[in-house]
Amino acid sequence: MSVLPRASLSVQPAGLVMRIRTSRDLPGVILVLPAVLTLTALLGYPVLYNLWLGFQQKHTIQPVGTWVGLQNYAFFLLNDRQFWDSFWLGLLYAIVTVVAQLVLGIGAALLLNEDFKGRMLVRGVALFPYMIPITLSVIIWRWVFNNQYGIANHLIVGTGITARPPLWLGPDWIFWTLCMISVWTFFPFVLISILARLQTVPPELYDAAKVDGAGAVGRFIHITLPQIQTVLFIVILLRSVWMFTKFDIVWMWGGQSYGGLGEFVRILPMYTYHRIFGLFQAGEGAALANIMFFMLLVAAYFYFRYFQTDEAHA
Amino acid sequence: MIGQAAAPAPSPASAPASSPWLTGARARKLGYQVMIYTGAALLTGYCVVPLVWMLLTSLKPPGEVITYPPAILPREPTLRNFRLLFEESLILTFLWNSIVAAVGSTVLSILIGTLAAYSLTRYRYPGRGKLATLILLGYMFPPIVLIIPFFVWFKAIGLTDSYIGLTVTYVALGLPFATWLLWAFFQSIPLELEEAAWIDGATRARAIIHVVLPLSLPGVIATSIFTFIVAWNEYLFALILMNTDRMKTLPVGLADLLNRPMTDWGVIMAAGVVITVPALLFFILTQNYLVKGWGAGAVKG
Repeated sequence: MSVLPRASLSVQPAGLVMRIRTSRDLPGVILVLPAVLTLTALLGYPVLYNLWLGFQQKHTIQPVGTWVGLQNYAFFLLNDRQFWDSFWLGLLYAIVTVVAQLVLGIGAALLLNEDFKGRMLVRGVALFPYMIPITLSVIIWRWVFNNQYGIANHLIVGTGITARPPLWLGPDWIFWTLCMISVWTFFPFVLISILARLQTVPPELYDAAKVDGAGAVGRFIHITLPQIQTVLFIVILLRSVWMFTKFDIVWMWGGQSYGGLGEFVRILPMYTYHRIFGLFQAGEGAALANIMFFMLLVAAYFYFRYFQTDEAHA
Repeated sequence: MIGQAAAPAPSPASAPASSPWLTGARARKLGYQVMIYTGAALLTGYCVVPLVWMLLTSLKPPGEVITYPPAILPREPTLRNFRLLFEESLILTFLWNSIVAAVGSTVLSILIGTLAAYSLTRYRYPGRGKLATLILLGYMFPPIVLIIPFFVWFKAIGLTDSYIGLTVTYVALGLPFATWLLWAFFQSIPLELEEAAWIDGATRARAIIHVVLPLSLPGVIATSIFTFIVAWNEYLFALILMNTDRMKTLPVGLADLLNRPMTDWGVIMAAGVVITVPALLFFILTQNYLVKGWGAGAVKG
């Protein structure tokens, strides 16, 4: 199955339609033109500009740069410890948060696909974290995890797990609390995507499986999983890309600074941001952005190549 | 966890096998009910408790906010934090800026996206399939790649600190997504309906107005809401492009509150409440569109 919308679905011309169609391609081109031009200007142009900028050393605000060829790339890939640290930390962040979002999101979707009283209410409520601004979820959780007055510490001490709760926003824990709040903020995306698909699965499939004596786990593996496979493919792709390129929640959780505690959540987008707006090295920043973009393209290519074909066979 | 929540029906493991007063079937049904409602309660708590905690904190006077152990309910509820917020911060200005940028970019994205989606589903011309790939690519675009070009570009033509600049930026973020969703919606409207209208003598434009638009309206609404949310919640570009206080949007203005030398958590939580309540009310009203829209669109196979 293709993951791209199949635009050709509706096009199986009969005689009448065929005649109309031959004269009607031009308006189609005209209608799609604004979108193509906008995307070219707003996405295509920046890519080219960044490619060009990556070969230079240029102050972010001063207009003139010097051409340095591949120097920026060579520096980051071969000599820069910070680059590789950020890369690995970012990868860890993406993997941990995507896996947790999937587990939580699919679990919640299966739950909400059941018929029970108050289901609609719970469904609405479960989307709240995704609908509020990210700034807000950072602020709420910083307050919950506050080292002095936070309710998290109070609850932990209250349940007697430990009398000396950790500093949630200190060096040891800040990365893991970042993962926790990221999962809270973004899992509803998985939930709603999977739920929307689940609701189109014909119930007869489950009834048939029950007659055949399949247990809950068996039904999940043999019916649910194949049904949600396609949507899962896209969800995993989007969520991985988005988590790997996440900036806002990480930056704000790290205290909106590169140094200090920010150091412990310094993933690639944050490092890029620091180069551009902290050190005012636009050339280096562009090179970083290009490296990141290239990594994503390669990863997406292999993802499509290996997983999509598997799925087509399934 | 998956397996557990997966049980759409009584799972043998979760039911007490041989209670003297419960037959097997009833016990399984009860076990199933307990499991479902426990799950629902946990999920609700997980998503809502932090928000409730925000609300409670916003109603506490300063002395109660910073006490340990924290009191759950405010002993002397007060609106002091809200008063201070409106008097001393620019929150209404931030709110206005956010509305302008989000509404402007949503309208533009939907307009351009609808035309494109209609064209892509109803016409045949070379390169159409490639466009699908490109739009998906745009959907996955790392924002950090756009930040330098936009910053340099807007600085050069004087579009930093302007609504136009930010609106254009949000079109860049929203349009691929909007086109993608609308595309899926337009595919779900059978071409035969339009053809029937043509056979009845309607012009193409009339067929669009009377057949296609009414059917695609739920999709357009859902897409608008999503596009709006993207812009409404956006932080990075607003941070970089809007430098003066009067031009800041809500997410950036709110984050600034955390950077003050003396963090007044009561006021910050009040700001959180002011932002959340209208957004969530709006969301509850449109929830059905959202879920249906999501089903038909973003991630359909």
